[in-house]
Amino acid sequence: MSAENVELVCPAGTPAALKAAVDAGADCVYVGYRDETNARNFPGLNFSRPELADGIAYAHERGSKVLVAINTFPRAGHPQIWHAAVDDAARFNADAVILADIGLCDYASKTHPELRLHLSVQASASSAEAIRFYHESFGIRRAVLPRVLTVPEIAALCADVPIEMEVFVFGGLCVMAEGRCALSSYATGHSPNTSGACSPASHVRYVEKGEKVVSQLGGFTINTFGNGEPAGYPTLCKGRFEANGKLSYLFEEPTSLNTLDLLPDLIAAGVTAFKIEGRQRGRAYVGSVVKAFRQAVDAIRRGEPVPPMVLAGVTEGGRHTAGAYERSWR
Amino acid sequence: MLTHRAAQRSRPVDMPFSPVLLAGLALAPVPPRLLQPLFDAILSVVRRRHPDILERLAAYPDASVGIHPVDLPFVLILDAHPESPRLTVRRDFEGVPVTAVIRGPLAMLIALAEGRTDGDAAFFSRQLVFEGDTEVVVALRNAIDGAGIDLQADFAATLGPLARPLRHVFGLGGRLFGRIAHDMDTVRSALLAPALRGADAQTARLNELEAELTALRRTLRQRERRA
Repeated sequence: MSAENVELVCPAGTPAALKAAVDAGADCVYVGYRDETNARNFPGLNFSRPELADGIAYAHERGSKVLVAINTFPRAGHPQIWHAAVDDAARFNADAVILADIGLCDYASKTHPELRLHLSVQASASSAEAIRFYHESFGIRRAVLPRVLTVPEIAALCADVPIEMEVFVFGGLCVMAEGRCALSSYATGHSPNTSGACSPASHVRYVEKGEKVVSQLGGFTINTFGNGEPAGYPTLCKGRFEANGKLSYLFEEPTSLNTLDLLPDLIAAGVTAFKIEGRQRGRAYVGSVVKAFRQAVDAIRRGEPVPPMVLAGVTEGGRHTAGAYERSWR
Repeated sequence: MLTHRAAQRSRPVDMPFSPVLLAGLALAPVPPRLLQPLFDAILSVVRRRHPDILERLAAYPDASVGIHPVDLPFVLILDAHPESPRLTVRRDFEGVPVTAVIRGPLAMLIALAEGRTDGDAAFFSRQLVFEGDTEVVVALRNAIDGAGIDLQADFAATLGPLARPLRHVFGLGGRLFGRIAHDMDTVRSALLAPALRGADAQTARLNELEAELTALRRTLRQRERRA
């Protein structure tokens, strides 16, 4: 894969964010409907049908694509709103739908054979066999890889499957088996995989205790932040817990993925698309992150090194990591 | 609902030493009811130009969100009912149970409303504080951020032929604000310089002590291993 063909896939939770992403140089913008058919079903977020139609028109007029995430798993016996989501995306001329559920992949491939299908990270397909299955069974054209693979592992996968590979390059860092994680379900009673919200805001509380702030999810204390310490959103996988008498982040620290320095390696590995996480973030985040990655990809295309860029202001906890791509702990 | 006491009790947000703070001191004797027409006008303009905000908040018709610009001597209460929204200015939250409270410097609250600052980053860095119903706060943040508010353009669009002079006034005001803010920064730096020098010296000394402690611990571990 050459840098010329790499696409920058950028998040938008609102029409204003979509415009910010397109104007900042996104090749593709991915969005979701304002319901549980997508994995960022947060209050006040996402697109109504008319907003999506307008957003697609805005993007297409400027040469950008729009991908519609329909990446939760339909409730048993009630697939109608998921089917309607696929039908409407096709009707609005979306450039692709991003799916996770096998049944929905089957529905989309049979009902809209002309519609391009991408496999969501929620499908948790991390092996050549799994990816080939989705391609051969439903005509999936691109797979979004889970954030648990190293660059050499990604290169091996790219060489072994006949479809495009998309990887996360910036934003929130989910370190679990996406689409199968039940941590949030345990704490809140709501599954992110069917209702579309990991650690839903309805179950989040920030409690003041003197100079400290305690973050809670479903009544469980997830973290306590001292005065001046950067706070974080209370997801169980980024909680600070006491185990064996020691207080620590057992799974992952509140930090963001940032692979600016790894982009040339990922291109060399055969990656087709760079995905920026953050549909739940505001347009200031979208604009600044997309602009930075646009500059980085353009620099690589010109054969120049990636220019130094500071994105600490928009990362979780003001920190970032290359995550599993480097696996420095191995 | 947050009670008055809970709404008043909060981790303090640093008040920036800015022209807004001075304006707040000047406004302190002004009864809030005299400011109410200004906020009625703001709500009217925003409602007309961005009806999608209330649409996105339709799931929370009874939500009442307190907004506290920490550098001003009054608070705002937003009742987000889709048919009859209100933005009420008050001295404090006494006697008004609110669903959630958002606190921050005025300049940051305006930047958030206009999408110039990332709300999550402001909260994570604790320049912004909120309490109460997180779902309502997140919905409000998303609704406002998604509307693409530009206060100057929004007001100008409602004034027709007066838009041009208004832009001129905004421009002049912005430049004046910037100059006063710069002068105040200079004053603040001059006042704080001696204290900062002392703090820098203490920090350097602490760093030295930490380095010594680390070296001692390493030596101790090596000795323990040898033993």
